[in-house]
Amino acid sequence: MLTQAILVAIWAGICSLDDVGPQMLRRPLLTGTVAGIIMGDVVQGLAISATLELMWMGIGNVGAYSAPDIVAGSIIGVSLGIATSGSIVADGSSDTSIEKIIATGVALALPVSVLCQQLLILWRSFACFLNPWAEKSIQDGNYQGLVKVHYFSTPVWFLIRAVPCFLGVYFGSDLITNILNVIPKGIITGMGVASKLIPAVGICILLLMLLKGRMWFFFLLGFMLTAYLKLPIIPITFIALAFAVLYDMAFMADKNNSRQSAAQDNQVINTPVEEEYDL
Amino acid sequence: MNSVNKITKKDLNSVFWRIQTIPFSYNYEKLQTIGFAHCMIPILDRLYKDADKETRVRAMKRHFEFFNTQVNAGALILGVTAAIEEKTDEDEKDAVVSLKAGLMGPFAGLGDSLLKFTWMPICGSIGAAFALQGNIIGPILMFIIYNLVNIFTKYFFVHYGYNKGIDIIEQSKNSNIIQRISNLANVVGVMVLGSLIASTVKVSTPLIIKVDEQSIKVQEMFDKVMPNFLTLIFALSVFFLVRKFQGKYTVSLIIAVMIIGVILSILGVLH
Repeated sequence: MLTQAILVAIWAGICSLDDVGPQMLRRPLLTGTVAGIIMGDVVQGLAISATLELMWMGIGNVGAYSAPDIVAGSIIGVSLGIATSGSIVADGSSDTSIEKIIATGVALALPVSVLCQQLLILWRSFACFLNPWAEKSIQDGNYQGLVKVHYFSTPVWFLIRAVPCFLGVYFGSDLITNILNVIPKGIITGMGVASKLIPAVGICILLLMLLKGRMWFFFLLGFMLTAYLKLPIIPITFIALAFAVLYDMAFMADKNNSRQSAAQDNQVINTPVEEEYDL
Repeated sequence: MNSVNKITKKDLNSVFWRIQTIPFSYNYEKLQTIGFAHCMIPILDRLYKDADKETRVRAMKRHFEFFNTQVNAGALILGVTAAIEEKTDEDEKDAVVSLKAGLMGPFAGLGDSLLKFTWMPICGSIGAAFALQGNIIGPILMFIIYNLVNIFTKYFFVHYGYNKGIDIIEQSKNSNIIQRISNLANVVGVMVLGSLIASTVKVSTPLIIKVDEQSIKVQEMFDKVMPNFLTLIFALSVFFLVRKFQGKYTVSLIIAVMIIGVILSILGVLH
């Protein structure tokens, strides 16, 4: 468990640097899957990560707003979900479905994401001391001092997620196992049901920005195509692309029409003036 | 002023590499300001190579004004800023500051809505759809298609922004190109999300109603009207809740849905 905890912590650190850097990983499906591989169960890792991905779909930092930290949340959720799955099997319950493991992962991911969000807010507030330092660093007309200021936070970014993840994985699984044994079975089954409802929240947060005016029809179309025809996501994407092009054509035609009618209006106004000249 | 460009491709590539770490010095007072200034180092070093100390300090001070935007859109602003730094005289430098301030708001909105809230979720949905079937290709595919756009736009925007300079903004005003791209993305986005709700959110009830010795399974009754009818109703109610709170209290909402789900499951209303 120590090796796995260290590996998970290093991965969390890497993801943390990526989150403030190239931003290539940062989503639950990517960070969680690797955590699943480290914990030695790819299939469960994929299942938990995918659920978290959908659940947190619309969550992201916008402007100065800090969202719950989905990076640490996903890594811990997947790692501990897998680590405790053995104990769920051991407690002799007849239904050891993957849904319970997903539910455990999701339940663990939430508190960690909120904890790391607080840590990040703390550091982002504290890091204001970088600003006067940056101004001072260029006073001699040499810009290289600024590079040092810019990268000052690097070790903090690494540790800010690596340490909670290490503690969580190393001490967490025993603790979590004990807690899970105390929890009544009804609640764990209920968590399985709830984990199928939760993705709606993430998707709806996203829809808040996209679903305006006529977009409702496209939303319902996408829903119906899957509800009635059971179409999977890739054909839906291509059909959506075709509708998007049609919508764009309509949009352009609309623009041209209004431009033409505006031009015609001008002509109507101009004609009497020209007639006067003819006279 | 001069026809030969001073800033080389190599300088712009150096800016591209620096863009990768823009949020490293992020803080709540000036957000990405230091990150942006650090990206400008190769540009300012080239343009003010032989300038006196005061001009160099003044040049960098210009970029200590508050700056924050979406990172990929920021690449375009960096390119444009480089072009303006090069093409303006020392007494016209106010344009640099005002241009940055004017662009960062709209570009942040555009970048966030196109990349973070449209392209990323499309990639995530495709990846998650495969991953839920236990297929490892899901995250791999997601990583590749997302980052193709993520990395390419950063690289392309720095060069494009520099080459086009100011007229890119004028152009986009005339041809509606930004509006059109966001229209396309919007339609694809909502359709994919609609489909995703139908395929991933599951609301089903084991309830049975007894009428005159006949028992009606509630779930079957709804399914005859429309498959996933309950799912749609549930998703729409969540949507109106989210809209009512304008996207705030999301964690509370997730926890509330979780608790309600558990309670309804224990009561035997859902399964």
